[in-house]
This record gives sequence, C-alpha cells and structure tokens, in this order.
Amino acid sequence: MLRAAGLFAPAASPPSSAMAPANNVSNGGSEEEARYPLNAESYRLLCKIGSGVSAVVYKAVCLPLGSSSSSSAVVAIKAIDLERSRVDLDGVRREAKAMALLSHRNVLRAHCSFTVGSHLWVVMPFMGAGSLHSILRHGFPGGLPEPCVAVVLAETLRALCYLHGQGRIHRDIKAGNILVDSDGAVKLADFGVSASIYETMHASASASAATAALGLGSSASCCFNDVAGTPYWMAPEVIHSHVGYGIKADIWSFGITALELAHGRPPLSHLPPSKSMLMRITSRVRLEDEESAAASSSSNKFSRAFKDMVSACLCQEPAKRPSAEKLLRHPFFKACSRRSKDFLVRNVLAAVPSIEERCSKDDDAGNDLCGCVVGARGGGARCVSPCRRHAADDDVVGVKNRRISGWNFNEDNLELDPTTTEEPAAEKRCVPFENPVVELDDSDSTGDGDRRRRPSHGDEDQDHGKAAEVVGFKEQQEVVTRKLMAVLQSLEMQRDMVTNVLERTAGSFDGGGNGGACGESVTGPRQEEREEMLLGYVRQLEHRVGDLRMEVEEEMAWNARLEKMMLQEKEINSSQASAGNSFS
Amino acid sequence: MKGLFKSKPRTPVDIVRQTREGLVQLDLHSGSRSGDAKREEKMTELSKNIRDMKSILYGNGESEPVTEACVQLTQEFFRENTLRLLIIHLPKLNLETRKDATQVVANLQRQQVSSKIVASEYLESNKDLLDILILGYENMDIALHYGAMLRECIRHQSIARYVLESEHMKKFFDYIQLPNFDIASDASATFKELLTRHKATVAEFLSNNYDWFFEEFNSRLLSSTNYITKRQAIKLLGDMLLDRSNAAVMMRYVSSKDNLMILMNLLRDSSKNIQIEAFHVFKLFAANKNKPPEVVNILVTNRSKLLRFFAGFKIDKEDEQFEADKEQVIKEISAL
Repeated sequence: MLRAAGLFAPAASPPSSAMAPANNVSNGGSEEEARYPLNAESYRLLCKIGSGVSAVVYKAVCLPLGSSSSSSAVVAIKAIDLERSRVDLDGVRREAKAMALLSHRNVLRAHCSFTVGSHLWVVMPFMGAGSLHSILRHGFPGGLPEPCVAVVLAETLRALCYLHGQGRIHRDIKAGNILVDSDGAVKLADFGVSASIYETMHASASASAATAALGLGSSASCCFNDVAGTPYWMAPEVIHSHVGYGIKADIWSFGITALELAHGRPPLSHLPPSKSMLMRITSRVRLEDEESAAASSSSNKFSRAFKDMVSACLCQEPAKRPSAEKLLRHPFFKACSRRSKDFLVRNVLAAVPSIEERCSKDDDAGNDLCGCVVGARGGGARCVSPCRRHAADDDVVGVKNRRISGWNFNEDNLELDPTTTEEPAAEKRCVPFENPVVELDDSDSTGDGDRRRRPSHGDEDQDHGKAAEVVGFKEQQEVVTRKLMAVLQSLEMQRDMVTNVLERTAGSFDGGGNGGACGESVTGPRQEEREEMLLGYVRQLEHRVGDLRMEVEEEMAWNARLEKMMLQEKEINSSQASAGNSFS
Repeated sequence: MKGLFKSKPRTPVDIVRQTREGLVQLDLHSGSRSGDAKREEKMTELSKNIRDMKSILYGNGESEPVTEACVQLTQEFFRENTLRLLIIHLPKLNLETRKDATQVVANLQRQQVSSKIVASEYLESNKDLLDILILGYENMDIALHYGAMLRECIRHQSIARYVLESEHMKKFFDYIQLPNFDIASDASATFKELLTRHKATVAEFLSNNYDWFFEEFNSRLLSSTNYITKRQAIKLLGDMLLDRSNAAVMMRYVSSKDNLMILMNLLRDSSKNIQIEAFHVFKLFAANKNKPPEVVNILVTNRSKLLRFFAGFKIDKEDEQFEADKEQVIKEISAL
C-alpha cells in the first residue's frame, strides 16, 4: 500500500490550486455538508479497497478538505469504467440519481460524482470498517454471533423500509453491499442495479430504460435495435404486481443475507455456481437443502426466532413474504433497539483488522490488486483502473489492428480544414497503420503482462459477473438453460460412473469368489451393504436426472416462446430500420 | 388505536386545497419570522398533503389508484395555480417532499379529465413555468427535481415545441457538460427526449434551425474532450439521423465533408463504444447514392485505410445487422 501511496503522490496538486475548483461548486450539495470538488486533481487515492466487474473502489483523501483535518476529508471513490460493454449509461445515470436523492441514515449517499476520462468517479463517505462480506472473511469466517447479526440486519431493514417506501427496489442485497463505519454505523450501498417503480412508469419514451428497470436487460448501444418513441404503458395492476414482486425479491435476498451473516457464507455456496443457481429455481430441493444446511452446520447455534425470521423471508410465494416494515417488528429484532451504537464496534470491529491491513493481505495473496494505481499519474485524464483491461483483453488485442492514426483530409485539392490541422503532418504521408498510438501501446503492455501472469482470471471474473447480473433477463434464460443442460449432463455422467463402479465391484466380487470360499463369506455382507447403498444412490440420481430433465424441458419451452416473441419484435424493428435506412 | 370520532375522510379536492393553502402560507411566513415551531408544523402538514396526493395518484401498497379520485384531484389541481405554487416553492420543501411533489407533477401530466389532458392546456397558457424548470439546471439543489418535471412536461408536443424553439435550447449545450455528473446526465436525458420524442416537431425544428444547431452539436458535443459528452452525443446523432422523419435533415448532414471528417475522427476514437456509434452514422455517408464530389474525394483518398479499418472492426457480440451494414459500407467504398 505504501507503494501505491508513493505512486499517487505526484498526482496530487498543491492544495492551493485545488481550492479553486472546490469553491466553484459552492452552491451544490445539501446545506450542511462539506462541498466536494468535482475534479480528480483534488483527490489523492490512497489504496484500493474493493473491486467489482466494472468498478474499483479506492480509499482517498479530498485534498482541499484535508487541511481542515476533519474526517470528512477521507472518502471512498468508486471508479466505474464506462467503457466496459456491460455498463449502460442509462443504468449509471439512474444509479447516480438514486444516490443523489436518497437520504437516510442507513443508506449510503454519494457526495458527488463526475467523469474522469472514460471513468465515472462517485465520491462517497468512507466506511471505515468495510463491507460485511470483508468483515466475515477477515474476522468471522464461520459467521457473526447472533446478536450482531440481529443488529446488522435491523439496520439494513431500516434502509429497506426507506427504499421500499420510496418505491425503490435495491435488487442486490448481500453482505458485500452492507457497509459499516468505524463508529458502528451500518449503511446499505450500491445502487447499480436498483430500480424505481416511479421511474419505470415515467420512462415511457425510452423503452430501454423501462425494460432495464423491469429487469429485462439493458439494450445494447446499437441504434438499429432501438424502438425509438414506442410509447410504453403499464397498467397499474402490472406496476403493482411489479412493486410487489420487486420489493419481495429484496426480502428474499435479505433472508439469504441473514444466512450469509450467520454462517459466514451464503447458503449453497459450497456448490458450484451452476448447481446453486439450479437449486434456487427448483423450489423443493432448495428448501430442503437450506433447512438441512441450517440444521447441520449450526444445529443449536441459532435461536428459533432467527430461523423463523429467515424462513419467513425465504417463502416461495413472494406475496407471503413479510414486508420490510413488518419484518422489523419480528421478535428476532426486539433486543436490537436496546443495543447502543458501539455494540458492533466492541463485538465485531474489534476483532477484524483495519481495512488497509485487509487490503495489504489481499495484496500479498496476489488477489486481484493490479496496477490500478499507475494511471493516476497521467494528469487524471486516462486515469485509474487498468483493471478493465484484463477483462477486456481480446478487445485490446483487437484494437491494435484497428487503430488508425489519422485520416487524409487535405489531399487532392481539398482545402486545408482547421479541424484537421492537429493531425501530425507526417501521418498524412506515411499512413502509420501498424503504429498504435503511444497511450494505447502503454495499456497494451500492462494488459498483456497481467494476462500472462494469470491467464484465465479475467475471464473467470467476467463469468462471475454474468452470473451475478440479474438484469439480463433473456441472457439469464439462456444461461440457466445452458447450465441446466450442463448439470444434467454431469449428473448423467455421474450415474454412468456409479453404475460402472457397481458393475466392476460386482465383477471383482465374482472373481474373488473363484479364489476361495472363505473370502466370500467375510466380504459378502459388507459388499451387499455397499451395493445396496450404491444402488440407492443411483436411484436417487436417476430421480434427480428425471426432475432435471423436466426442468430443462420447461425452460426450453419457455425459451422458445421468448425467442418467438423476440423474433416478432425484431421483424417489426428491422422493417422500421430498413425503412429508415433506404433513403437512397 | 382508533379514535371514537372518526373524522370525515378528506376528499381529493380537500387535499389539493389544503396543499395550495399550505404553499401560499409558506410564502407569507417566509418573510416574517413567526415562530419556528409553527412554521415547522405547517411544513409537516404540507408535506403530508403532498404525500397524500401522491398516494391518490399512484395508489399505495394496499390499494390501487381510483380513477374518480384522480380525476377530482387533477381538476382541482389545475383549476387554480397549484402547479405554479408547487414549482416556485419547491426549493423550500425538504428532500422527501420535493421527491413526492416531483412524482405528483409527473403523474398529473397524463391524467385525463373527460378525455382531455388538462396539464397540457394549463402549461400552454403558463409557458413561463417551463423557463423556470429549465433554468433549474443551474441550481444544483433542485436540478434533478426540476429536470424530472421538465421531462414529463415535454411529453406534450406543444410544450416540447415551445422548449425547442425557445432561447433556452442553446443552454442545453452547457448543461450537458456540467461537471456534476448526475445533473449533466439528467440534462442530456432531457435533451435527448426533446430531440427524439415528437417526430414531426423535431423534424421541423431541425430543418429550421439546421445551421446553428449542427454547428453547436459538432463543435461543442461531438468534438468535446469529455468522454461522456462525446459518447452521448454520437449516440443521439445516430438516433436522430436514422429516424425516418428526419430523412431530409439526414441527407443534408451526410452531404457535408466537414461532418464526414468529424465522423471519421470519431471512428478512430480510443473508445470502442464511440467507434461503434460513429459507425452507425458513418455508414449513412457511405450509403448515400448522391455523394457530393468532396465527400467522394475524402472517401477515395482514405479508401485503403478505411478498408483496413473495417476489416478489423468487430463488436463483442454477434450482430448480423452490424455485419451486414459493414459489408455494405465496404462494398460502397470499394466501388468508388
């Protein structure tokens, strides 16, 4: 981390010059808050404290405020890479707006946000103890003690009450998004995928916004796919069912988060993602599994109140899940109101290393702390987070051939146009196709270096992100079907293997029988027992395969229906597009 | 605990009236320093009334909106100057009430009373309110609220036309580039809405204002050094030019060599997203059957470069339309 801080030093501009931009925005923000400047030069990034698919979070210090030695000078900056394909600008705009307009003591509110090159910097309060995910990982791998779980969940519920009252659905409740400050304050963060019911209703002009809010996936940035101006109306009952649906989806995730806090990891996380995904959609298996998991790993560790609260959240039927408000009145949270704020400080925060230590630990472990810090020296323009480069590796490689250093506008009697004079004169003649521009060269080398070190890491991350992204509904359909197929295949393979083993053991048993009768009499019963067990296992597997096959068939039928619908829509689109295109 | 004497439930009309009174009193009290406690109380009441209006219009968790109640509310709201009061006094309300008020105003824009949109009629005779809303982008505290209201108001074609033709239209080129991301992106959402929603009005605006508009658009947005400004602008340009109703404007745009040069420079932008959006406009230049000589000249001069560029130009996911367009462009350029 020292290394990082050292690298950053040159990026810091003298406080005196940084004061000016800070004053420029003095009419912004809400009254009592300190004003945060809207330029990268006013912040010094200290260390990376988290990263996601398309964003990196840094601890930073706001230089103009630093002189006042107040704690408000320390901030967290989330640098979102807008160039990453999965980030759609409408979504980012919604997040920024949501964070600017939400005001609740349990909801993390952004100080300000501004663009730095192709990154969006969201400046937020620095939450000293980090996320609960990180707290679990570094101090409580087996889960928090129940009273602490209750305090954290109660605070989270207050945030949910507020959000749901605003008609806002968070859609990504998990320990990783619950942050704790060093004074024990708990705040819900990350509105990257949150949706507002009201906005959905209103966004009639932009179908893409509406569909995104509905969780139907964000449309790509291709003009041809835009059904521009198609009025999007939603009947009240649809909205209501949507409200109900969305809000209750948050309650479900809240229940899972409760288990995550209690056990140190979300339920089913011991299974590969494909299987856990499958479990989530097959209700029978899932509920049984959760109950057994709860029973096995912590049989008497948790109170009945806790189990009752969680099972209410994890009710299959959304309508039967309690609202956040109702949940807050659950007996499980009764004791929470009596606990003072530093309850968490004493019982949780005291047991975990500081966020900086955690980060440096990650660093030693070679976890994905990359050269994120390098870019900031370049004056802030193409700043931060070369991280995207290892995820977008193929992109970078491809770019090399694609880069064009300049066009020839001034040849063949064309007038010299002022807009082209900035092109270096030499390029006019030599067409340096093969020479990528310097800055690109830079990025290339870091990207390649990273890739060589950890060849598959970037891809893996991307896959993870894909699985986590709830937004792409159609995408999810496909993923689910594919995964179901894969699971089915693996189960079938397992079944074959087991039968194989069975046959072979039966064979060897026969063979042994030839050798001597005494051997047979000893191994006989045990063999039989094993055989029976294996047979039972096979039968179980067969059963499972049967279930899965049905599941797959259902899924495929649904997919087919969706595809048909999409095809119809595409036809309408393309007829519109071709009409718009055939101006010749 | 239920009271023994249930007060008669207030009608939607009552609620609107009380809101209006509350807003007027806000005005009176703001001058004189009459007791803070009383003022606080009035404010709480006002907030509650505005929230009640919201639940009538949107329904709440338990009940859905009732048409009759919505009609009554709408009629009473626009019978007098409630909208004006609400807009003018918005900065004095607290954050939650501002949000409620914004949602109320938004919803009212499409409430019908005997199959007429009352809001549209009201706004047409109170166009200065739109000026207030637009200038809200200059005040960070209320920009997002006014912006959201404005976007709802320009759903009405006549109101959109007013804004398009007003002097304020030029201001959007500044607002879009405000350093504050949330406000700038709100302004660009409004800007986009203005230029894409009402086809005929937009087409008329663009042909009447072609010169200054595209001059500004090219020099301030497409040639901006700000990544996000550039990216949103090139996307919007594509949306506008590819719209059938703007065919005439598009023909004019793709016949200019200056425009072509800007687009070609965007094609080799360091951002892949900008490249792709630029391609969707560039292809129009190439597909134009009546290319002016100077456009042909540029394309011919750069033919080999362009062909090499397109050979390596791919997007991450498969897109048949994109590939087909690219083929077409390559064919056109090769044939020149």
